[in-house]
Amino acid sequence: MAETTVVGLGSAARSRRFFLVGAIMVGALVLAAAAAPWLTPYDPDAIVVMAYRGPLGPGNGHLFGTDTVGRDVWARVLYGARTSLFVGTLAMAISLVIGMAIGLAAGYFGGLVDAVLMWVVDLFLTMPSLLLLIVLATVLPPSIFTIPLVIGLLGWTTFGRTVRGEVLTLRERDYVQAARALGATDARIIVRHLVPGVLPGVIVLAALGMSGAIIVDAGLSYLGLGVPLPTPSWGRMVSDAQTYVGVAPWLVVAPGVAIALAVVGLNLIGYGLIDLLAERRA
Amino acid sequence: MAYFARRILRALSTLLGTAFIIFMLVRVVPADPAVSIAGPKADPETLAAIRKDLGLDDPLVVQYGRYVWQLAHADLGRSYMTGRRVSDVILARVGATALLAVTSLGIGFLLGLVVGVATAARRGSAIDVAVLLATLVGLSFPPFWLGNLLIYQFSYRLRLLPLGGYGSVWNLILPATTLAIVEFFFYARFVHTNVAATIASDYIRTARAKGAPPERLYLVHALRNALIPIVTVLGLDIASLMGGLVLTETVFNWPGLGRLAVQAVFGLDIPLVAGTVLFAAVLVLLANLIVDLLYGLIDPRVQRG
Repeated sequence: MAETTVVGLGSAARSRRFFLVGAIMVGALVLAAAAAPWLTPYDPDAIVVMAYRGPLGPGNGHLFGTDTVGRDVWARVLYGARTSLFVGTLAMAISLVIGMAIGLAAGYFGGLVDAVLMWVVDLFLTMPSLLLLIVLATVLPPSIFTIPLVIGLLGWTTFGRTVRGEVLTLRERDYVQAARALGATDARIIVRHLVPGVLPGVIVLAALGMSGAIIVDAGLSYLGLGVPLPTPSWGRMVSDAQTYVGVAPWLVVAPGVAIALAVVGLNLIGYGLIDLLAERRA
Repeated sequence: MAYFARRILRALSTLLGTAFIIFMLVRVVPADPAVSIAGPKADPETLAAIRKDLGLDDPLVVQYGRYVWQLAHADLGRSYMTGRRVSDVILARVGATALLAVTSLGIGFLLGLVVGVATAARRGSAIDVAVLLATLVGLSFPPFWLGNLLIYQFSYRLRLLPLGGYGSVWNLILPATTLAIVEFFFYARFVHTNVAATIASDYIRTARAKGAPPERLYLVHALRNALIPIVTVLGLDIASLMGGLVLTETVFNWPGLGRLAVQAVFGLDIPLVAGTVLFAAVLVLLANLIVDLLYGLIDPRVQRG
């Protein structure tokens, strides 16, 4: 299969602005997740409406209203940020490690190693990943680590292909050839010369990969396969609210906006970084 | 010719690999399939009989061999839940999924192509930035969320369209729109960046310097060259379209393969799960094989690579 590469935003000035906006959005989200107990007096899992009168609209001491069982939606969105950020970070880290290892091995050793590893990449690209994720998420024992693990295990192909491509060009550079001529071991060449060379590209993919993982996690939680209850998660909030969308649309809007905020922020960082890093290297 | 043979062999080997992974996956299901057929109150003799009947006591290698043998005969086994042949169940559902997929991909891709080409002219202009930002934001909303907003607006508030189900063209509008929005943003962005990059390249500048009229410049030179990555992505996108279908079908109660797969997983209906996942994988493989073969025809240089 042919390569499809990620393209930057064009100008460095524009990239810097995009990156800054993204960094502010993600920064705010991380702060909100960390400071959740101080930003809301409510427990995200507690029923806070005394006499139940159906979901309450936004206002009246509940910024985003309350949900169908009387929990505070703002509190659930805040604590849900912890879940999404945790899942996104861990899944991305797993993909990054697998993808880098495979990409470095394929690009550096070439030949049969490369052929076999690229065949594996094709295999993973062909598989309908959401269906496989559903199967894995059902099969494996439920825990807070299950979802990030399966997303990470299936999401490394972009890392692998990109790193391999960069290694193919780096391998022919003079300083790598010189190190080899001086008798440096394969491990030393990879760790000292190739890893630093591929890192900028990997950082970009890490931001984009994390946003992808957050969207996938939201989809899985929507299907009822996310992190186990009662941990609040944005996708599950949408599916719980679906039946009531006619009477309580805010229950659907709030988690959706939160998902979009996280994803847009991370994508702005990722796309912004492409040109910024290229500019630094030039 | 060697190129085409190589591509086909590669697709076949990927198919065998996929079958192996699916086989391993569904074999590690901890729940006992015999229990899910006979129910939790079945006596041990019945369970043992069912296990023997399904060959669950045989060694793994034997089971995999049997699995591939059956696949080679287009036999996907029988659903645990209904006892019907998996291939029949899949065929009964494939029409609904195909209808939704083709409608939404067709609309989303064509609109994306038009908008992408139309806005690619000047890199760095206001419209360029607007497209980049709009597609970046548009791609950040998960399909199940968009679907719910559409239901709220068009089913509850305006009372124009049904909020789910299947049967008439009215049922199709909301799910198809949901997926078409996702596909539109994806292709608008991809086409935009690719055509913009092509326009900036040397040979377009040459063509312009030689006085080629702008419409010829875009349609003949730029679009044709940008078409190769676009077709590639169209092939790869089939895999992610499956994900969108699973979610959208669930939101709108659309009786397609995606919902079937989700129901099968929750019902621990192993042959049905394996069958739908494999079927989806075969579709993706075929799409990519066609793209690869088209490539060889569009650009003869590829054949040597």
